[in-house]
Amino acid sequence: MEKLILRRVDRNNEEMILNFGPQHPSTHGVINFIVETDGEVLRKAVPDVGYLHRSIEKIGESTGYHGFMPYTDRIDYVAAMFPNEGYAMVVERLCGIQVPKRALYLRAISTELCRIASHLVSIGTMTMDIGAFTPMIHGIRERETINDLIEALCGARLTYNYHRIGGVAFDLPEGWRDKTLAFLDHFDKFLVEFDRLISFNEIYIKRLANVAVIPGPMAVDYGLSGPNLRGSGVDFDLRKAMPYGVYPEFEFDVPVGKGMFGQVGDCFDRYICRTREMGESSKIVRQALDLIQQAPEGDIVAPKVARNLKVEAGEALSRVESARGEMAFYLVADGTNRAWRVRTRTGSFTAMGIIEAISPGLMVADLVALIASLDVVAPEIDR
Amino acid sequence: MMTFTEYAGSFQKTAVSFWHGLSITMSHLFRRPMTVQYPDRTPLPVRDMLPPRYRGFLEVDTAICTGCQACERACPIACIQITLEKDPANPKQRLVTQFDIDEAKCMFCGLCVEPCPTGSIQHTREFEGSVANIRNLVFRWSDPVKPFPVYRVEKGAEYFARAPLGSLVRARLEAARWNAAAVEYLPPEPPAPAVAPVPAAAPAPPTPTNPETK
Amino acid sequence: MATTPKRPPLSPRAVVLITLIVGVALPGALFALILVLSAATKPLVVEALIRKFAEVDPATWPYTTLVSWGSVVVLALILLTFGAVISGMTVWWEMRVSARMQSRIGYNRAGAAGFFQWIADAVKLLFKEDLIPAEADRMLFRVAPYFVMTGFALTFVALPFGESLIAADLNVGIFYLVSVTALVVVGILLAGWSSNSKWALFGGMRSAAQVVSYEIPAGLATMVPILMAGTLSMQGIVRAQGAWPWQWFVFTNPAATVAFAVFFIAQLAEGNRTPFDLPEAESELVAGYLSEYSGFRFAIYFLVEFGNLWVMGAIAATLFLGGWQIPGVGPEVYAAAKGAGALPAPGWWGLQALSMVVMVVKTLVVLNLIVWVRWTLPRIRIDQMMTLCWKYLVPVAFVTFVFTLLWQVLVARQPALSTISGWVMFAGFVVVTLLFARQTRANIAAAGDHVDMTNW
Repeated sequence: MEKLILRRVDRNNEEMILNFGPQHPSTHGVINFIVETDGEVLRKAVPDVGYLHRSIEKIGESTGYHGFMPYTDRIDYVAAMFPNEGYAMVVERLCGIQVPKRALYLRAISTELCRIASHLVSIGTMTMDIGAFTPMIHGIRERETINDLIEALCGARLTYNYHRIGGVAFDLPEGWRDKTLAFLDHFDKFLVEFDRLISFNEIYIKRLANVAVIPGPMAVDYGLSGPNLRGSGVDFDLRKAMPYGVYPEFEFDVPVGKGMFGQVGDCFDRYICRTREMGESSKIVRQALDLIQQAPEGDIVAPKVARNLKVEAGEALSRVESARGEMAFYLVADGTNRAWRVRTRTGSFTAMGIIEAISPGLMVADLVALIASLDVVAPEIDR
Repeated sequence: MMTFTEYAGSFQKTAVSFWHGLSITMSHLFRRPMTVQYPDRTPLPVRDMLPPRYRGFLEVDTAICTGCQACERACPIACIQITLEKDPANPKQRLVTQFDIDEAKCMFCGLCVEPCPTGSIQHTREFEGSVANIRNLVFRWSDPVKPFPVYRVEKGAEYFARAPLGSLVRARLEAARWNAAAVEYLPPEPPAPAVAPVPAAAPAPPTPTNPETK
Repeated sequence: MATTPKRPPLSPRAVVLITLIVGVALPGALFALILVLSAATKPLVVEALIRKFAEVDPATWPYTTLVSWGSVVVLALILLTFGAVISGMTVWWEMRVSARMQSRIGYNRAGAAGFFQWIADAVKLLFKEDLIPAEADRMLFRVAPYFVMTGFALTFVALPFGESLIAADLNVGIFYLVSVTALVVVGILLAGWSSNSKWALFGGMRSAAQVVSYEIPAGLATMVPILMAGTLSMQGIVRAQGAWPWQWFVFTNPAATVAFAVFFIAQLAEGNRTPFDLPEAESELVAGYLSEYSGFRFAIYFLVEFGNLWVMGAIAATLFLGGWQIPGVGPEVYAAAKGAGALPAPGWWGLQALSMVVMVVKTLVVLNLIVWVRWTLPRIRIDQMMTLCWKYLVPVAFVTFVFTLLWQVLVARQPALSTISGWVMFAGFVVVTLLFARQTRANIAAAGDHVDMTNW
């Protein structure tokens, strides 16, 4: 602990050290923040991660290529489609597997629905951290419908294990398209209602605007990605910048923080980026549901992917725009049926790095808002 | 510094945003709650409301199990344990003397279902299996005293008659008491790593040893 | 694994019946006891009762003092019990309402609509282990809940329930209430300090800063009805108002409407209710000053927090909303109904009961307003809490105070002014309410939903 704090707090001054976590209602899992405070004002907050380390990357070296897929669900259990997709993509890249078009559409549909679900949790918990309980339950309510849809699609509500190396596991179930379209119609109305309920509430704006401002260059320096980076006004989205899958076919905007009620890069910008991104994801799902009808039914997985997959020696990298920023999988294969090294780069881990730099001068309540606005999820930090 | 317009405007903004927020929470008083009152106040039993692809407890129909061990190899956490032996009475017939699935370990990923040639192993929509003792969650699909013979697939067969999905698991779940005493033995150690062995080395012989049993 | 669903021992209809009986009879009995006792503990009535039933002369009877003191003690116990029961029922009601606002159902298992949940919760809390942290200041830690409880219980001395239903109509009634409610903060501060937990300390300090600051706008806003009534007595303030809505203080003076808003906000802050629940901010301070409390001591804090809703509602109704006034029933009607004897006639009791109903309804309206606000708004930050108090509420409260001074001078010369203001403000209120109802309906339509009151 003392190493993290770097200096012992003088007993005679008015600072105190506070262990903000690992069991704390607003750390979103088991993360510890060692906080130096002077009354309500923070001197510094140092994140202390590692409480949820399950050595998932190491497990990737001991299970087969197919067998690692369910483990990737556990990297980010709030948005489990993204690690699924990232891992499938890296193996496909290494083996040179061509994924059928229909599978790519299914991947886009499932991941974008998952992005909505993940952002609903994120903004919901954020409103709860700010003190409003009702919007959080409303967000969870909408997520429940998405969970039902994904459950009908792949059989699980949280750890989907839907993507496969070379495609996806299941085709669309009967009637699923209509149900999804009906939900999206409802969801667009919900977004308007949610904005009226909480987003533009005066107290909420006052709590978030001009709080924990991360300027664009600083966000780039610290390697932030995803909505955290875009909230700082940097227009970088892997779906646009380095398109993968079928994303070039879709028309959608990338919401960027504009400093709606304060400086660019404050907590409110990161929050509003997420709410707007949900609307864009809803657009993408609609387009994908239209385009998928052109792809032949049942062609959802590449033929001749061996069950006991052996991968030629080599290395590959895949980058996916996850709900929490860029998720990259780096794989080194040595010609056997197991990976030599699997490495994951996650958005939450890099987001933790910036907290120490941003925290001085914030208040205790602002730290909660900062953590919530960075949308960190503990398993993604520690893997 | 704050101008007077801003000072007065903050009252107005507050009032307007509260107006919207309060009217929305008020309107929810007149809308239907979406709570599903599991377990006893649902229109149907919850397992019947789940989609057909739901991944619940695994079920093995021993009548059509070919004993190919594909599921055992596919399982990433080795929660399936299969042992094959020759029938002493009929040397040509092989028997599955052990087919254990540790549902406590199982992560319900569905990878074992995919390689099954006959659809013998399937996920059901059963999910209510809480027991007081976790060892009771090991499902022994083969009776060690009366092992079942492997199923021979006829050439060109495309359809394999299967017991109704879920009926076998449900029968077992209903027969067991939730607080039954734990079984005396531990499930044996898996013979080999979860995936197929490295090609260079010969496959290790299946030696179901367990250090904890006498 | 195999669990055959057990048949409930009672039929659903019986459960509803029992719930209704308890739900009506329990508060009903308490209200009836308050009705009888708060009128019967007055010395004159006690003497008359002794003369009638014991058939002795109270002046020479040796037990007169005992009886009159005894009845006061019984009344005090009844009021305390009433506080506890109403606090529990408020918890149940708040949970039901908030659940509905969040598309949930809420309590629905113990009794019909989960009504007995608050009793179950209370019993559970009583059986919990009473933990005291090892490094805590043991004495202060134990004492703190009693400060809170005392501050809460003492308010009932001066809370009016009806025309002559008040434990003691102090001539400094509102002043007394303001001072005893401040006792709660002592308990909270003690709890925060003695727990020897940094979270609790944060909560205690926040609470102290908050309650002390908001006493000022609350006090200033209270001055407006005091000026208009010319008395500090709770009953006096009510008697100065009329029974019809356009005769209430909140409408008869434009400044009083603003003062009501200021008073309401300040009351929220003093009661630690959202958006001012900083002292126990769950997402920031775990549970604030309550972090280390468990069992019965925690139950006391909980009881006071929810019981305070009633107190807040009753004070607001008294000061601004016309209290227990029944339309068309003036003081002369009460006097006529009472009759000439020392013991009041039955008709008088009926009037008292009616005035009690009016008061309870108004209190419940304010209580629901507080609940509704809590489940809509987020929490403000501590510096914003201070800004709101000192930069907004205090100046506004001063303006209303000065305006009321001028207004009273004007009304004294031109009494019609107050009537006109009452009508205009009341009409404005009705219009706003209708607009709000329209907005609410529009919200339901905009979400593609429809009015559906099923799934309870």
